[in-house]
Amino acid sequence: MTNQTLILWTTIMGGVCTLSIFSFLIKENPFYRVFEHIFIGIAAGLGAIQGFRYFLWPQILVPLFGLNIVQYPDGSFSGEYNPYVLLYIAPLLFGLLYYFIYSKKHGWLAKLVIGFSLGASAGLSFKGFFAEMLPQLSSSFKSLVVMANGTIDWASSLSNMLFVFTLLAVMYYFFFSIKAESATAKKFSASGRWLMMVCFGSFFGSTVMARLALLVERLQFLLIDWASAIKTLFSFGPPA
Amino acid sequence: MKSRSKLRSLLNLDRRVIFLFVLLALAWPLLNKYTIRPARMKSADKLFKIVDELKPEKGKVAFVAFDFGPNTKAENASQAQVVVEHLMRKRIPIILFSQYVLADPFLKSIPEKIKLSLESEFPEEKWEYGKDWVNLGYRPGSALIIQSIPKSTNLAETFIIDAFSTPLKELPIFKEKLTLKNITLLFQVTGLVGTFDSYVQFFQTKDYRPQFSHGCTSITIPEAYIYLDSGQLNGLLEGIAGAAWYSYRLSDEYKAREEDDAVLINTGLGIAHLLLIGLIILGNISGLISKRIERVAT
Repeated sequence: MTNQTLILWTTIMGGVCTLSIFSFLIKENPFYRVFEHIFIGIAAGLGAIQGFRYFLWPQILVPLFGLNIVQYPDGSFSGEYNPYVLLYIAPLLFGLLYYFIYSKKHGWLAKLVIGFSLGASAGLSFKGFFAEMLPQLSSSFKSLVVMANGTIDWASSLSNMLFVFTLLAVMYYFFFSIKAESATAKKFSASGRWLMMVCFGSFFGSTVMARLALLVERLQFLLIDWASAIKTLFSFGPPA
Repeated sequence: MKSRSKLRSLLNLDRRVIFLFVLLALAWPLLNKYTIRPARMKSADKLFKIVDELKPEKGKVAFVAFDFGPNTKAENASQAQVVVEHLMRKRIPIILFSQYVLADPFLKSIPEKIKLSLESEFPEEKWEYGKDWVNLGYRPGSALIIQSIPKSTNLAETFIIDAFSTPLKELPIFKEKLTLKNITLLFQVTGLVGTFDSYVQFFQTKDYRPQFSHGCTSITIPEAYIYLDSGQLNGLLEGIAGAAWYSYRLSDEYKAREEDDAVLINTGLGIAHLLLIGLIILGNISGLISKRIERVAT
C-alpha cells in the first residue's frame, strides 16, 4: 500500500467515524455506540503500548537485561553492567502486587500498593499546592490606589478595587462560622453569590465557544479533506 | 391568534433545526475561504513578544509540551502550530514532549508540516530534525516526570531516547549537557487543567524558572487568567482566538508566509457566535411577548 493510498483510506475512515459520532445529534443509535467504544478502546490500548515503548522498555528493561551493552568484534564490551539496576526489580514486584485485587484471599496485598500510591500522591499534591497557591495569594494583595506618573491611574485602581471586593465578598459567602444577621452582611454575602454567577456565566460562554471550535474543525475536515478523498475514491474529479 | 401560534412555534423550535442553522453558519466561511481580521488579544501579544525577543544561543532551547489529543485539536493544534512556527523561524532549538498519549501523532506531524512550509518559503534554507527540533514523544508519569526535569543534571540521561528510539546523545541539540537552566521558554498547550498544574508546580528550581506560556482551550480561559494575573504565566493563547491573533501577527511580520487555518476557524466561530446571540435574543423576546399576550387574554 502506497503512502497516498494509506492517507486516502485514513481520511475516509476518519470521516465515517466523525459522521457516526455526529449521528447522536439525531438520536441514540448503534453506530454511535460502536464508534464511541472503538475510540475509548484505542485510547486505552495506545496508552499501554506507548507507556511500554517510551518508559518500561528503554528505561527499565533494557538496562536490567543489559541490552544497552554491545559486544564489539574484538570481544570487548561497550560498557560494564551496572548491578544497581537490579534494584528496579523491587518496585516492579511491588507494583505487580496490584493484580491481587482480583483475588479474594490475597486482596489485602493490592491495598499495600494503593496505600503507597495514595500517600505518594498526597505528598506530591501538598508540595505542589504551595508552589501553585503562594504566588497567587501574594498577588491578591493589590494596591487600591495605583499611581502612574504622579497621578492616579483610575482604570487600574478601579480594576484592583473590583478584584479585592470580589475576593472578599466571595470568601465571606463561604464563611459559615458566624451567621450573617445584619442587613449589610447579608447584602455583602449576596453580592458574593452574584459575582460567582457572573463567573459561572463566563465559564458557560467559554464552554460554548470551545464546543463550537471543535465543530468547526470537524466540519473543515468533512467539507474539505473528506469530500476530496471521496471524490478521489470514486473519481468524481481531481482532489481539492 | 395567528401571531400567537407563530410565536409558539418559534418557542418550540426543534433543536435539530438550530443545529442545522449553526452548521450552515460554520460551513459558509469554510467553503468560501472567507476570513475576517481577528480581534487583538493582549496576552497573545505578550507571548509573541517573548518569542520574538528570543535569540538563538548555544545551549539554549525551548521546551514545548503538546498535552492535547484529537478531542481539543481544533484549538490546541492551531496554537501549537503558530508558536512552533515562530520558534523555528527564529531558529530556536525546540524539545517537543507530551504527558498525554493521544498527542503522539501531533508531535510528529506539526513540526514536519512547518518544516515543509518554511522550506518552500526559503528554498535556500533547511530545517533539520535533531538540530532544530527533537521529539521526546509521550512520557508516562504525569507530575513525577515533570518533577524529574528540574532535578536532572543532563536531560539526555533522564529521557535517554527520542520518539524514534534514537539515543538523545547522538542528536546535535543534546551534544551540550542540558538542564532546566538551558530552557529559556516553556510553552505548554492543553485542554486538561491537571497536566497544566504540574508544570506550574514543579517546572522550576529554587533560583530559576523559565518564561512560562500556555495555550488553553476556551473552556479553561477563566482559570488560566488567574495564573496570568499572578505572574505565574508570562503569556497566554486563549482558545482559537489567541491562535488566530498570533497567526495574524506572524503573517504581518513575515509577508510571504503561507496562511494557516487559525484565522479561518476563528471567522467561522465568530459567525456562529453572532447566530447564537441572535437566537438567544429572539427566543427571549418571543418568550416575553408570548407571556404578555397570554396575560392580556386571561
